[in-house]
Amino acid sequence: MRRHRDIAAAPRRSATETWQAIADLVADTLDRSPHIDRVEVEAVMATAATVGRPLVAGGHLNQHPLTLVADPMRCTIGTVSGTAALSLEENLNPIPGGAQATEFTLHLPTPDPLEAVVRAAAERSPHLSADPPADLALATRAEAGDGEVQTGLVDLAALARRKAERP
Amino acid sequence: MSYTSTSTTTRTHTATYLTDVVMGAIADILADLRIDLTTLYRDWDQDEHAIRAWILEGSLKEVVLECHQPGGTVAPIIEFPVAYKTSGTGDAEFTASQARLARFRAKLDRVPPGTTYRLFCTFHGPHSPQPGWSPGTRASTEGLRSINYGTLASAPDASASMRYRYR
Repeated sequence: MRRHRDIAAAPRRSATETWQAIADLVADTLDRSPHIDRVEVEAVMATAATVGRPLVAGGHLNQHPLTLVADPMRCTIGTVSGTAALSLEENLNPIPGGAQATEFTLHLPTPDPLEAVVRAAAERSPHLSADPPADLALATRAEAGDGEVQTGLVDLAALARRKAERP
Repeated sequence: MSYTSTSTTTRTHTATYLTDVVMGAIADILADLRIDLTTLYRDWDQDEHAIRAWILEGSLKEVVLECHQPGGTVAPIIEFPVAYKTSGTGDAEFTASQARLARFRAKLDRVPPGTTYRLFCTFHGPHSPQPGWSPGTRASTEGLRSINYGTLASAPDASASMRYRYR
């Protein structure tokens, strides 16, 4: 199941406070799973905070959200900055589906010019990635007509899900 | 009573917003110049807190980013002057020009490997002490050319602009 959450950034929250709100949302969501240790999730989010705060402050998460993959749940998490942040109605409740998760990966966006530092940060935890989620990357390449994608390598179920989720 | 409350809230929002935009711009500029961001990321919380507090009290004149090259040259220098508005005369919107920052970054002079950075804040007058910040001496700007890049972010009670000094 695919979800999306928007978190209010500045002027409602500082970059540090915004990242903490994101970290709390992720931890609260995965805390429902009997297979995932909340302390470990918090440690991963603390590791990611080094690049998370600049991603927030630079407005990068407004256009390039994070993606939390914890099958069967996946959720993109973006920010809203500026005047719109003041009136944003947030949903900070745990994301549905977290209870069934057995593992998780937080995919960080790599916008210019922060790509190198985001990739370096992602290497510090096996739960962090600076690459797009696998099925999304395959679907994107297939849709773009990438010659390297051969029939049978594409996750057809993911493609079907993507198609079904389109408005 | 109501007016005071609204005014305080807006001023807090202004300080939070301008701090975020300036900190985000500094992170983007340093990443673009491939200058080590370790210290910026490590000190992010205290720098964010200090700049926000100084804008809130109206004492901050400008934030200055100095690039110290291995050969002793200090260039470029990027200044972020803060202009305060008379209460009630400011635009009610919180806006940032990310496009202006992107255009600015594209024109930045490259710096040699091993270049480090220093952050300074200058003040209109008395200001509160903030953890991690102590008096320092800015590098001379003599002989540097200067370009004003205009307003980077605007909020109801203040705005931040950007000035580029280069050889």
